[in-house]
Amino acid sequence: MSTDKNSNPVLHIPKIEEGFVFDHIPAGLGPRVLELLRSYPELAEAVVTVGLNYRSGKLGSKDMLKIEVTDLPESLIRLISLVGPGITIKKISGFEVVRKLGLELPDAIDNLARCRNPNCVTNTERHVAARFERSGKAASYRCLFCERVFDLKELELLLP
Amino acid sequence: MKRDLISLNDLSLETIQGYLELAARVESMPAEERRRLLAGRILAVLFYEPSTRTRLSFESAMFRLGGNVLGFSETGSTSVAKGESLADTIRTVEQYADIIVIRHPKEGTARLSAASCSIPVINAGDGTNQHPSQTLLDLYTIRKLFGRIQGLRIAFVGDLKYSRTVHSLLQALGKFGNATFRFVSPESLRMPSYLRDGLAGSGCTFTETVDLGSALAECDLVYMTRIQKERFPDILEYEKVKNAYCIDARLLRGVPERLRIMHPLPRVNEIAPDVDPTVHAAYFPQVGYGVTMRQAILLDLLGVKQ
Ligand SMILES: [Zn+2]
Repeated sequence: MSTDKNSNPVLHIPKIEEGFVFDHIPAGLGPRVLELLRSYPELAEAVVTVGLNYRSGKLGSKDMLKIEVTDLPESLIRLISLVGPGITIKKISGFEVVRKLGLELPDAIDNLARCRNPNCVTNTERHVAARFERSGKAASYRCLFCERVFDLKELELLLP
Repeated sequence: MKRDLISLNDLSLETIQGYLELAARVESMPAEERRRLLAGRILAVLFYEPSTRTRLSFESAMFRLGGNVLGFSETGSTSVAKGESLADTIRTVEQYADIIVIRHPKEGTARLSAASCSIPVINAGDGTNQHPSQTLLDLYTIRKLFGRIQGLRIAFVGDLKYSRTVHSLLQALGKFGNATFRFVSPESLRMPSYLRDGLAGSGCTFTETVDLGSALAECDLVYMTRIQKERFPDILEYEKVKNAYCIDARLLRGVPERLRIMHPLPRVNEIAPDVDPTVHAAYFPQVGYGVTMRQAILLDLLGVKQ
């Protein structure tokens, strides 16, 4: 949380009674998280508030997002963990934070993204799920089939 | 649990050394004894794109071990042409054979095949990705020629940007460490930076040059590759470089006796026929060592212990 009172997100985004707060989203990636949320039909009716470019001590600036639902699909959380490192999810109940989860980049990406190599067997054979494993460098992943290494940002996420 | 040979990236240095030792034992074995080792076993050769040399090498290896071979070398008349999935083909062939060798134009097919069946799968080339038996036979050839793999001065010549064979061999030599590389290529076909960077910490050093002559004079081994016309958007650029990376007997005059020349073959004009009778030519013995190494691979994956 920012210590700068003028940019305290809480002042800008109303508190929610029940739902989830996605915080510490690297600035600019808030719309990406929103896009992922919107791809789930079961979340289509939910009230969502998005805030962009808050100043944050840790990140310089950050985006933030609140959604008023009682549950989140598990695959959505895995997809959001691929948007960027360090995003936190807080579950809110009765205006209080009842659970906090910090998302880390996963070691493996299983059936959540398409391989960018058009000549990869995962793109040429039907019913073959692409799998990636974290490769040495910070946010790069190696396709287990064609063995190409991609930056996380290059991977096209598979939305429901 | 069954084992496969899919990628050099899966192999530790110890595993690679194990293959080299096994190949040496296979080579020293009497032919009679060898012919009993895989009697009654069947190798399925599934070549979705033609590569006559690789296919014949695997078939020869299987026959020399007393085994049998079935398969196809192009897909025109097979069920694949009717739209059968790769996994279905593999699960079908699994019922016919004890081990599969597959070559396919798409990257990742060998890995997918291995995951689709419970018999061993050998990757004989998946698109531009991997061709591990080529790298193992290159390493075995180097050991046969010099008695060792470390401590050599090795020049890679020609198309260093796109040659899968060169990239894979370089990475494997990096695992052994303690080598001095010379990368000889036209500017437009230089060794990719990720491979040069990948040598950091391996105990290997490298220099880059466009000059073939100095490499011949100063290296123990020259690994030649073919420069393909298709790689050049500008045909004039190709015409300029194509003859700069050719070796003939005249160019070899005065080079040290120890120099050996390897080539994955087929060659076009990068090694003149007048090099063949010289002491330097190692590319035909290399073909023979390939059959030996492929015997070692078949024996190892089928669990036939020596
Ligand atoms: Zn891939």
